[in-house]
Amino acid sequence: MGMQGDFLQLLKEQGYTLGVPASVGTGHALTNATTILAFKYRDGVLVAGDRRATAGNMVMYDRTDKVLEIDRHSVMAIAGVPATAYEMVRVLEHSFKYYRRTQLQELSFDGKLRAISKLLKDNVPAALAGTGAVVPVFAGYDLEQGSAKIYFYDILGAEFEGVEYAVSGSGSPTIRGILHYLNTWGDQPLNRLPEEQAMVQALRLLTSAAEFDSATGGVNREASLYPVIKLITGVGVQTVPDATLKPLYESQVVRYV
Amino acid sequence: MYEEPYRWVEAVGNRRQYLDEQFKQGSPVVALTYDGGILLTTVSKGTAKLYEIYDRLALGGMGHPTDLEKLRFSLLEMAHVEGFNRSPSDVTGSRLVKYGIAPVIKQAFEEVYKAPFIVRILVAELGVKPEKDALLTINYDGTFEETVGCAVLAATPAAQTKMVSYLKEQMPAALSLEQAVDLALRAWAIGSLAHQQEETDQQTEPDPSAGKAGAVTAPVPSADVLMAHVRGIAGGRTLECAVLERQAPGTSKYRSLKPSDLAPLLPKSLQSVVAN
Repeated sequence: MGMQGDFLQLLKEQGYTLGVPASVGTGHALTNATTILAFKYRDGVLVAGDRRATAGNMVMYDRTDKVLEIDRHSVMAIAGVPATAYEMVRVLEHSFKYYRRTQLQELSFDGKLRAISKLLKDNVPAALAGTGAVVPVFAGYDLEQGSAKIYFYDILGAEFEGVEYAVSGSGSPTIRGILHYLNTWGDQPLNRLPEEQAMVQALRLLTSAAEFDSATGGVNREASLYPVIKLITGVGVQTVPDATLKPLYESQVVRYV
Repeated sequence: MYEEPYRWVEAVGNRRQYLDEQFKQGSPVVALTYDGGILLTTVSKGTAKLYEIYDRLALGGMGHPTDLEKLRFSLLEMAHVEGFNRSPSDVTGSRLVKYGIAPVIKQAFEEVYKAPFIVRILVAELGVKPEKDALLTINYDGTFEETVGCAVLAATPAAQTKMVSYLKEQMPAALSLEQAVDLALRAWAIGSLAHQQEETDQQTEPDPSAGKAGAVTAPVPSADVLMAHVRGIAGGRTLECAVLERQAPGTSKYRSLKPSDLAPLLPKSLQSVVAN
C-alpha cells in the first residue's frame, strides 16, 4: 500500500507520466522568457507576473496568466515551458484537493512544498532535454503558523525559502537588485508596505524588467493590459482587478518612465 | 447449495433480512435544496457520516463505517481521475453512481458467498443553476433513485416514506439556510421516531393488528415534540451539517458547518447541544 491520499501515485498506477522522455529533446540551452516575482508585504504575500509568452523572438501571446491559483491559500507563479508548468499546476491542484478530501485534513504547508519538489524531480529528464524546464515560485499563507511564505525552486526540484522576496524568469536579474535595494535602503522594508504601495512597487518592478528584457511584457495601456497581481492573506487568494491597477499605474508608475 | 435458482433467491432474501437488521441502530440522513444550495444533515455517533467528494459533490451515508469508507474512496478516486483527465465539469454525480459504485454494490450484494456492503448512500450534486441540483440515493442492493428537492436515508422504507412526505408537506417554495436546517432536523426526528416506533412495535408483537392500526393513524408530531426529540438524542452525539453553496468562493463548494457556524442557525432550544 502506497502513501495515503497520494493523487500522483493514483495517476501513475493508471499509466500517467509527467513530461516527455528525455530522448526527444535536443539539449538546447534553456531560456525562461518571463518575469515573475513574489514578496511579503504588510498583510501577506504579493505575487505578480507579466503576461507575455514568447517563442524565440516571436511574441506568441500577450494575455498569459503565469500566476496560478492552486488552492484557496497558495499560488504558483511559473517561468519556463508553459505546457509542463500548466500540467504541474493541474496535478498539484488535484493532489491537494484529493489529499484533503480523502484524509479529511489539509495537506500541511511543508507537504505542499514537498509535492512540488517531487513533481520537478520527476520532470528532470524533460528539463535537461530542453523540452520541459519549469522554474516556479510558490507562495502561500501557512494557516497553522499564521504567516506568509515564499519558496523558489531550481529545475531539479531543490527548494529554497525566499525570506522576503523571490524572482524567476529572464527578466529577474534586473529586478533582483532593485528588490534588494528597496528592502535594505528603501523608506521602509518590503514587509511593512501597505497593500496599495505593494501593488505600486510590483508594477514598477515589472515595468523595469520589461525595459531591459524583451521577453517580458510591460503595461500596454492602449490595450488595457496590466500584469497579473495576486494577494494572498489569511482570508485567501485575491486577484487584483485591472480597474484597481489602472489608476495606480497612471498616478504612480507612468511619470517615472 | 446455492447453485439451484430457488436456493439463490432464498439466500438473497436472507441477505435482505440480515441487512435490514443492520440499519436499525442507524441515524437517518436528510438532504434538501435551499435558496443558496444543498444542505445535508444527520446526527452521528463517533464517526462522521457526511463527506466532501468533489467540487460540487457531497456524500451522506448510513451503515458500516468501513464499508462506507471503501465506497467513499472509490468515489473520490473516480471523481478526481475524471476531473484531472477530462475537466471538473465532467464529474457528475449520476455517472459516478450509475456506472461507478451502484454496480459494485449490486455485485457484492448478489455474490452470496461474500460479504455485502452494509451501506445506504446519498450523493448530492450542486448544479451550476438551481434546476440542475440532483440528489441520488443508493440502497445496499445497488438500486438507485434520482430525485430533486429532497432525499433521505432511513432504516426502513416506512420511515423513509414518512420523512419524505413530511418534507414534501412542510417545504415552502423557497427557504433560507436557517429554515432549511430547522426543517431538516424535524424531518430527521420524524425518521428517528419512526425507527423507535418500529422497535417497540416489534417488541409488543402479541397484538400486531392493534399496533399497526395505531401507527397508521398516529398524527404527525408537532415541531416542538420533534425538536425535543432531536435535543434528547443529539446531546451525547454530533449534530452534523454540511452545505454545497453555489456562491462559495473558489471551485470547492462543499463546507462542513462548524459548531460556531451552526449555532446561530439553530433554534434556541438546540443551541446548547452544539456548544458542548
